[in-house]
Amino acid sequence: MNGVHDLGGMDGLGPIDYEADEPVFHAEWERRVFALTLAMGFYGAWNLDMSRHARERTPAAEYLSSSYYEIWLSGLERLLDEGGLLTRAEIDARAAVLRAEGS
Amino acid sequence: MPMLSAKDVPTLLRKGGAARVAAEAPAKFAPGDRVVVRNLNPRGHTRAPRYIRCKAGTIDRDHGVFVFPDTHAHGKGPSPQHVYSVRFTAREVWGDDASPRDAIYIDLWDDYLDPA
Amino acid sequence: MGKHRHTEPPSDLVLRVKALESLLVEKGLVDAAALDVLIDTYENKVGPRNGAKVVARAWADPAYKARLLADATTAIAEFGFVGRQGEDMLVVENTPGVHNLTVCTLCSCYPWPVLGLPPVWYKAAPYRSRAVRDPRGVLREFGLDLPEDVEIRVWDSTAELRYLVLPERPAGTEGFSEDELAELVTRDSMIGVAKATLPGIGVAKATAPGGSGEAST
Repeated sequence: MNGVHDLGGMDGLGPIDYEADEPVFHAEWERRVFALTLAMGFYGAWNLDMSRHARERTPAAEYLSSSYYEIWLSGLERLLDEGGLLTRAEIDARAAVLRAEGS
Repeated sequence: MPMLSAKDVPTLLRKGGAARVAAEAPAKFAPGDRVVVRNLNPRGHTRAPRYIRCKAGTIDRDHGVFVFPDTHAHGKGPSPQHVYSVRFTAREVWGDDASPRDAIYIDLWDDYLDPA
Repeated sequence: MGKHRHTEPPSDLVLRVKALESLLVEKGLVDAAALDVLIDTYENKVGPRNGAKVVARAWADPAYKARLLADATTAIAEFGFVGRQGEDMLVVENTPGVHNLTVCTLCSCYPWPVLGLPPVWYKAAPYRSRAVRDPRGVLREFGLDLPEDVEIRVWDSTAELRYLVLPERPAGTEGFSEDELAELVTRDSMIGVAKATLPGIGVAKATAPGGSGEAST
């Protein structure tokens, strides 16, 4: 697809934001998204090409304004939802419960 | 499909997920051949970036036979075919203002390419 | 993609990820202990010190270097650096006349077994968009100003081949042990945005991005 992920040669995306000695993960949620994505990849409901395409289908404005693991999260939710394994509504509902519990 | 267990993680990571396949497939091109990237604009998954489409380059290397993402991403099977490292000059891709010396090497599948 | 965050992101995101994990565990789709092994592997066990060992051996041992350039996957496997996102490796050699730079314009493909997970800047829009378009400008931003007669080759990892740059061995390292040589090999030099240098010698950078000073795994 001719999506915004296809960035080669695009202008206007700003300076390279280099962080010296950066950690592998910048937050706990990034660790979890990374691991959940790999674990679900091993589960076998989809292949690597499908998971890349799921990330690419993150809506354009969202893709460009998201951090890397936010895009992974978007892709994973899309695959789970389309695969009939877990809907976004279920995630919304659980998140609301966690918020109410003051997690 | 069983859930991934902790004890299986190291083995599975070491095994990896090879996209190279043992299937035989005819190679349409050989190193040194001049090729042009097709004007493809699939609505689905592809690994041919827009910046390289319709550009002419030279086959630098034949990597062998691999799964084809454009079909594999859509449950249409692996369509195994040759992948090549193709060299494009910077000027071919970006025009006469680009460096006269620099080049882009990009891995492209048989189905992306026509003879130039 | 926007700026990566140094501080805790909005709590909605944290809660959402917790919700997602708890649901996947409850549905029997993922096992929490497996998640911890995955994280530990890539946070602590796999990183650029692996690639540095490969480069150091290639510098020290001409026969190894020949094997590495002929069949990188097998040569790298001599160290046991195998597996996911490194199943098919290629090593591209920097010489006085050729400088190699690697990128994945479409996503973030990177040779995990030898370099670990990629840094944020490699995966973000500015590098992905500019590396193929203006590699000289990108290298200048990293403090590396190459002469016009050096050919820059940019390798866009569109397929499942994974690329490792073999940087030039710095002058003044004759007689160094492999361990000493490995200490000079930075992650950035194996991506191609920096050269390997002796500390205190070589390109001095007054402004960010620093490039070759990275020392952690």
